[in-house]
Amino acid sequence: MKNLEQELCAKICEVCRLTGIDCSSVDRGGTLIGPESILGLDSLDAMEIVVLVQSDYGVRIGSEETSREILQSLTSLAEYIRVNSEG
Amino acid sequence: MREFCHEQTAHCESGTLANLLKFQGLDISEPMAFGLGQGLFFAYVPFIRLNKLPLVTYRSTPGRLLEQTSRGLGLDLQMRKFRDQNESMRVLDNLVDQGIPVGLQTGIFWLPYIPRAYRFHFNAHNIVVYGREGDVYRVSDPVMPFTTTIARSDLQAARFARGALAPKGKLYYFTDGAASVSLADGVRQSLVYVAKQMCRVPFFLIGVRGMRFLAGRLEKWPQKLGDANARLHLGQVIRMQEEIGTGGAGFRLLYAAFLQECEEVLHDPCMGEFSSRLTEIGDQWRSFAAMAARICKDRRRDEDSFTHCGQLIRGCADREEQLFQDILAHLQA
Repeated sequence: MKNLEQELCAKICEVCRLTGIDCSSVDRGGTLIGPESILGLDSLDAMEIVVLVQSDYGVRIGSEETSREILQSLTSLAEYIRVNSEG
Repeated sequence: MREFCHEQTAHCESGTLANLLKFQGLDISEPMAFGLGQGLFFAYVPFIRLNKLPLVTYRSTPGRLLEQTSRGLGLDLQMRKFRDQNESMRVLDNLVDQGIPVGLQTGIFWLPYIPRAYRFHFNAHNIVVYGREGDVYRVSDPVMPFTTTIARSDLQAARFARGALAPKGKLYYFTDGAASVSLADGVRQSLVYVAKQMCRVPFFLIGVRGMRFLAGRLEKWPQKLGDANARLHLGQVIRMQEEIGTGGAGFRLLYAAFLQECEEVLHDPCMGEFSSRLTEIGDQWRSFAAMAARICKDRRRDEDSFTHCGQLIRGCADREEQLFQDILAHLQA
């Protein structure tokens, strides 16, 4: 899962229909959601990302964890998936 | 002197409450505070407008969590509102100087430590002030990762923000004293109350009836309102009062976590099963939210439509109705 951040970036671009983004050069620690988002994502996009993470990685972003923190950056999202995915 | 511990949480009222209770020596999680406070709810109120769009709420009214949790545990919660701004600041100073952490209702737009881009006119944001040095107050805002500070004039402006849900200087704090009701008894009362609110209130805008009413209205929005306005209305349904990324599901998952904790508090394995069922319902709300988000963003898939959104909401209503009837039957057996 070395390139999980890059893989996530590509999947997010696909579900959110973002074009012209080079995921290999995106700032992985940059803000993911909100006005300063590196990909221009907002809270509506965040809902699709939460569902994507659950369907593709079997990891639920539940209420115990604050999704705000998890969706802070590609790095934090990838880290959450690494820690919580089975196998 | 006891130390106030700040913990970041998903929602401001349940987070403020959990942090204040921890100071009182009651180690209660955010889900437990939410459940004890009878926080789960649903209402669709089209004649009340928020940003010119109909009000949809997935939780109880602001302030209810505080009142119900303290009542449920037999704790003494003091709550005051003010007309006189100077008097309200004097009372706050007096309490804080005694080492008492004080919960405040504020207008989030006026809190300067919130990044400008995230400020909006919402007047029921809860924070705790737990100390001060002169005119600089120490603040625990549960949606922030760390504590911060705020100047007196800014705090006063936030406490007396105008508009819907105006805080009117509202402050609250717990007086010393142990809980007089056991956690198990408080939990049982709250479970019954929420279940009745969700499936037995005979009013068409509330609980599962409200969900079905919303589903019917939502299906007609494109014809009635036109595509652009229909999408704005749909966005409101999923965006308001929810944690980022959980539209509609957030409070269901929080209550599911509460039900999970009830398994231990009540020594009742059925609560774990109820929790799993509500988690699945939360996932269905989430599927609805994702579909709605795609419609709002104009990137529909073949299966995405207002009709399908309505069907998903009806499905959630049917499953929630069955769940809460089962909880009632189980607790009242």
